[in-house]
Amino acid sequence: MFTNIISALMLALFLVTPGFAEEPAKQSPQAGTVAQSTAPALQAPAAVPGQSAAAAPAATAPVLAGGMPTKVRPNRAITISMFMTIIGITLCVVIWAARQTKSASDFYTAGGGITGLQNGWAIAGDYMSAASFLGMSGLISLYGIDGFMYAVGPMFSFIAILLVIAEPCRNAGKFTLGDILSFRTAPKPVRAVAALSTVTVSLFYLIAQMVGAGKLMQVLLDIPYRVSVIGVGILMVGYVVFGGMKATTWVQIIKAGLLMSGTVLLAFLVMAKAGMNPVGFFTDIVGNQLIQDHVRMNVLKDALPKAGFDYGQRFMEPGLFLKNPLDQVSLGIAWALGAAGLPHILMRFFTVPSAKEARKSIVIALFINSSFFFLINIIGFGAALYLSPQLISSVDKGGNMATLLLAQLLGGGAGSLGGDMFLAFICAVAFATILAVVSGLVLAASAAIAHDVYVNIVMDGKADQHTQVKVARITSLFVGLAAIVMGLAAEKENVVALVALAFAVAASGNFPAVMLSLFWKRFNTAGVISALLVGTISALGLVVISPVMTYPQKIADDAKKIVSTLEKKQLEGAVLADKDLKLLEKSRGDYSKNNGQTSMVGLTAPIFPLKNPGIVSVPLGLIAAILGTLLFRDRRAEEMFDEIEVRQITGLGISKASDH
Amino acid sequence: MSKSYNWSEIARNPKYLELKRKKRVFLFGWWIVASIYYFSLPLLSGYFPALFKVKLIGVINFGYLFILSQFLVAIFVAMYYTKIANRDFDRLTDELVREIQ
Repeated sequence: MFTNIISALMLALFLVTPGFAEEPAKQSPQAGTVAQSTAPALQAPAAVPGQSAAAAPAATAPVLAGGMPTKVRPNRAITISMFMTIIGITLCVVIWAARQTKSASDFYTAGGGITGLQNGWAIAGDYMSAASFLGMSGLISLYGIDGFMYAVGPMFSFIAILLVIAEPCRNAGKFTLGDILSFRTAPKPVRAVAALSTVTVSLFYLIAQMVGAGKLMQVLLDIPYRVSVIGVGILMVGYVVFGGMKATTWVQIIKAGLLMSGTVLLAFLVMAKAGMNPVGFFTDIVGNQLIQDHVRMNVLKDALPKAGFDYGQRFMEPGLFLKNPLDQVSLGIAWALGAAGLPHILMRFFTVPSAKEARKSIVIALFINSSFFFLINIIGFGAALYLSPQLISSVDKGGNMATLLLAQLLGGGAGSLGGDMFLAFICAVAFATILAVVSGLVLAASAAIAHDVYVNIVMDGKADQHTQVKVARITSLFVGLAAIVMGLAAEKENVVALVALAFAVAASGNFPAVMLSLFWKRFNTAGVISALLVGTISALGLVVISPVMTYPQKIADDAKKIVSTLEKKQLEGAVLADKDLKLLEKSRGDYSKNNGQTSMVGLTAPIFPLKNPGIVSVPLGLIAAILGTLLFRDRRAEEMFDEIEVRQITGLGISKASDH
Repeated sequence: MSKSYNWSEIARNPKYLELKRKKRVFLFGWWIVASIYYFSLPLLSGYFPALFKVKLIGVINFGYLFILSQFLVAIFVAMYYTKIANRDFDRLTDELVREIQ
């Protein structure tokens, strides 16, 4: 019921977006080939990847260069058998996990029976998404050090989680965000709002992942978008419905292991090629003619070299991709606080038996992710040096295919057995990555609906274990189906905004609410509700008027510029090359299609200048939390503070798997 | 729940108050320190790009090494916290829990 309403709302939201859903499809009827995106040349290519790297294969949505012949060509037989192997292994895990999933605690938290080491790998896996694996290395290969700078955010986010979130939440919580927030407040309204926030954040994130997954599989396996979204969706639903948290965790652990192995091997091969000499490696990069040309012509757009300017060294200096320091700070805030407020990450702390194990799991995750992002930096620079930025961007404007192309090259080159095997392995790992991440999201959203809404609001907490598990499974099925439907509907949408949104909502609403629940005596029902509502609404409001949305008028204006330049050339008597004629044709089409159109909320240009709303929406959420609390004083909440504080600090009365 | 506790009584226990104070100072203190270091990256690279361009080891410049140092600082904070938590916080917590039960 609840799921249906939400999905209907979300669908409506997407269908309202004028024009976009239909037309590009007609332009390129051959699904799975190049050029799916409407106007790749006109959208800032790099607006796509890395935005919120851990999160977003959304961001990896391959924006392929129109008409370019180059593309990644995995060997189908080898690739499909590797995919099948991974599916086979994970299905065995699901069957094993399903047999052990009997109680609600088994379903949501694997009965609290995950060790710190296992949970560390699983959390690390949540961070190592296709976006960080493919998108971040691509960004480095095209923009140098700016891409590497992106990696610091996800890693730093562990600090807040480690110091102020993981252990207190483990001690005071049970299954969901709602459990922590409703501890000393009016349970029903708070659980309802917490569930709504969890479902919103998880679904935004999930849709972005589904669209990214669909596009990636489309390119890698040469299958239609629909087939890949439905395929990923069915597997994801299967993992969660049958295996619950245990299967979701183990799929994540297996994937994290595979991904780390692939990354270590790839980085090792790069360094071996560079003679194991890092200084020599970077000297080669700075001295590389193709990289110098790329920085000069494609990034800085200097037609003629400036005298004495070292374009190679410029690749090692910031500012090629990240231009607005305020936007970077805002993104930094979203990472520093948002990751700690993401429901599917919060949920992982409940799977370990104690605060000590929760602490251990974060430290392990931090180690794994630090190594991972360090290796990604080697892979990204290696791709720039050994493949050239020109080749990488000719296959994909945003650089998302860099890791795959590099694997093929270092495995022995296209067509060789080693090259095909390594490429297929990396493709299969990317696939496993997507499956593991989406499963965790479905589980978090279902837990909020089944545990908070059904069991605690509808049934007043009076439901036996059997019913709870049954409801949780049915809910997961519906959440999964909703995700598939929305993923299909959002094929042509700009999903980057959704990832920014998920993080912003988590940072502006969930994070202050959780922190103040744990650490501020006077915090109460009004405080929680105003934090969540104001945080969510302000983040949402700022994102829809920010530059991450699609502005048709801007596309039209850019197209017009190209048209007038090319027409001027023609008038001057120049004969246009085939490529330019095609571009002219396409730009005319883009112009007539987009001119006079407005963005989703009726704007011709963004009002809010930053892509990330955190710098404004986090303070708003926090102020709302404080004002709400002070305006509606609640004695009971204050009296119960001792209990939640003693629990979170000492772990007394901790909710264990055995406390059914 | 197997056992119910008198929470407000525990909240006044001197050992508890000591644990709470120590934890609060350490956790929020290090959180602030780490945050300052973290946010100095976008601020310095955005407003003082010249600093990032200073070459230190061959062509490897301050910017690259500063990014690497972010990783090391995060790992250091995590390791140091683990050490203190295992040595002090866990011990104090165990003592307190034993006293109460």
